Amino acid sequence: MKNDRKKACGGFSRKDVLGWCVLLPGVILFFFFIWGPMITSIKLSFFSTKGFQIREFVGLKNYIHVLNHPDFIAAFRNTFSYIGWSLVLGFLTPLIVAVLVSETVLFKGFFRASVYFPAMVPGLASAMIANFFFLGSKFGVMNILISKLGLEPQTWLSHSAWTIPIIVILCTWKGAGGTSLIYMAGIGGISQDLYEAAAIDGAGYLKRLVHIVIPSVLPLARTLLILQVISVFQILYEPLVMTNGGPNNASISIMQLVYRYAFEKFDYASACALSVIICLTLMVISAVYNTVTNKKEN
Amino acid sequence: MRKKLSVLLGIALLAGAVSGCGSAGTKEPSAADKGSTSAAAQEEAVSQTKPVSGEEQIVVKMGLCPLEEEPQELWDKYDKDLKVFSEKHPNVTIENARYDYSTDTFVPLAESGNLPTVFGTWFSEPQKLIANGYAADITDILKERGWLDKMNQSIRGILSDKEGHVYGIPASGYALGMLQNVNLFKEAGLVDENGIPFKPATWEDVAEYAQKIKEATGTPGLCILAQDNGAGWHFTNIAWDFGAEFSVLNEDGTYTANVNSPEAIEAMEFIKDLKWKCDVLTPDPLSENGGTGIAHIASGTAAMVIGANDAVNALIDNGAMLGEFALCPFPAGPKGQYSLFGGTPYMFSPDATKEQINAALDFMVIYNGVGPDVSEDTLDSIAKRDASLGRPVLPQFKLWDSPEVDALQETVIENNRNMDSALYQDYFDTIVKDGNLHLEEPAATQDLYAELTKVIQAVVTDKNSDVPALMKTADSNYQVILDSLQ
Repeated sequence: MKNDRKKACGGFSRKDVLGWCVLLPGVILFFFFIWGPMITSIKLSFFSTKGFQIREFVGLKNYIHVLNHPDFIAAFRNTFSYIGWSLVLGFLTPLIVAVLVSETVLFKGFFRASVYFPAMVPGLASAMIANFFFLGSKFGVMNILISKLGLEPQTWLSHSAWTIPIIVILCTWKGAGGTSLIYMAGIGGISQDLYEAAAIDGAGYLKRLVHIVIPSVLPLARTLLILQVISVFQILYEPLVMTNGGPNNASISIMQLVYRYAFEKFDYASACALSVIICLTLMVISAVYNTVTNKKEN
Repeated sequence: MRKKLSVLLGIALLAGAVSGCGSAGTKEPSAADKGSTSAAAQEEAVSQTKPVSGEEQIVVKMGLCPLEEEPQELWDKYDKDLKVFSEKHPNVTIENARYDYSTDTFVPLAESGNLPTVFGTWFSEPQKLIANGYAADITDILKERGWLDKMNQSIRGILSDKEGHVYGIPASGYALGMLQNVNLFKEAGLVDENGIPFKPATWEDVAEYAQKIKEATGTPGLCILAQDNGAGWHFTNIAWDFGAEFSVLNEDGTYTANVNSPEAIEAMEFIKDLKWKCDVLTPDPLSENGGTGIAHIASGTAAMVIGANDAVNALIDNGAMLGEFALCPFPAGPKGQYSLFGGTPYMFSPDATKEQINAALDFMVIYNGVGPDVSEDTLDSIAKRDASLGRPVLPQFKLWDSPEVDALQETVIENNRNMDSALYQDYFDTIVKDGNLHLEEPAATQDLYAELTKVIQAVVTDKNSDVPALMKTADSNYQVILDSLQ
């Protein structure tokens, strides 16, 4: 009878109504702050604009314009370089931290809080700290440290080969704590039976790590990897504040181009077109990644 | 119980989400809507709101008022001027709506109709604001006031669209010169018998003096800004001295890039030599921008930086004392001596009415000393205000074609002089010479600066950089941008 009533109401029961009431505020906020602007951006990308006001339909002209920009190739290439370095320097770091903290016995709470501390430092403050740390003069912290080893001061952020890895080190310092908390939660959820069985079989610490911990967090790691790629692809703050994309475009990111179109040139149509290109690129990367990982699982 | 709690939670969340949505068309005060700190001015503000029968009430949102934390001297002058204005315009209410222009916040304010009636902006912005409809056309207003034809014609061009409609009034004018730290020049023995630093007449002199200062004091002799478009901005002026022209106007109105001309390459090689042969630059030019350059001169960590007359207040704000810095003419190159000039504007909200704009202008004549009708009292009070803050009282850049105002300014400067004129007079004498002042490059200016900045960043970080190749790349990139303007 209850099912009949449900069908008569078009599939909605009282429980569904309650659920939607709780969901509705979030849906409204999502619409105003995420979906609405996203749809408007896509629309703007096909028009010429005066400020935010559309003028006339121009088809793909904005897309061709941004793809032809002299800095586009450098920005696109650098963005993949950021992803590469972030995977090398920053993918395993949170996992290692999580394993180490999970193994601690005393003051585990303190270590858990302290690894998250850099994430609580405001973005501008952390970029400024990094700037002073890597200042090119003899007064920079890094240069003071290496001078104790008898080395000459270096212009760290002005070296085209070092600038991206240094920025990635800052991002890792800032972001690893949050990710490691997720891994810690995953490690904390591993059944004790597995550890007991391993202990009975005489497995040492390394074997437990390789055969129990790593396989247990692997699904989590797969998800976090693609999330990291998506996040790093949109890196903006650090290159903008630390190097302004220099030296000579060595650290410019694709989001920096969007920022320049939007806030330095007020060319919102081009900024939207480039944003759509970024979105499509990330969709392709995600689709390829999901296909490869699904095949492996099968 | 759980059901009731869920319902209540859902209603609370919904109410919270909906309450965050403001009603359309509400014009709320823009950023930093701060009241005057003085009690007298608060009384005046109250008295201003008393309606006068028969007259339309006009509210002006003043984006140029002082910040709350600024010195009392600034507020005293603002309050005094507000009182004088209110007596003459009892139907006008001036609301404090201080706004410091920023590209991040400007467009949302403009789109939502929350811009102040009048605001200041940077010298690079007018054409962008005009093209996007973010500034009011005040041509007719200026014509009625008799100001239109008296505006400095070159600065008027910066504030106009292609049809000649004007969208702002000049707040200040600047021309590039060279700021010097007097103490470092003294330590290197590069001063005359009165302790006035030698002025580098040419760029070769700059290199020579910078080297002597580095040898004598260990301090870099010259700070080149290489972090952002400021590098390209300054470089265009240097390159003009070497005979370069960065673009050629074609008959059909298009432009052809000319970035890698022999003259421009020679100028860029000179920059490279400053770093690698002369070794006179700061350790990391890529960390230098307008702010750090001023800080270097003020703190004595560099001896020279390219700067303009409008930078001297920033030197004082960074701790420099009068007499510790000098402003000399932009050095000459092999093919001439030029000073890049421009003006910072006051512009008006596109939503402002004619009455609001006129009321704002009437107040700004008293408070900011704008326009060709400014009185000696106003200029004198501005000079005294600057002097009370420790700022130098300097000759003003000629913004209006008005011999009367020029004469008043000379009198006011003479009466309030607080800095040895030998430290700056040469600069002001040079910029009024025929042919010295040079407007910015006309086409895609900021993009040109960006391309030149990339080259400068390469030459000061790579000893083996190939300047002709880098300039050729910059030329190609600039041409792509020029082509996209069509």
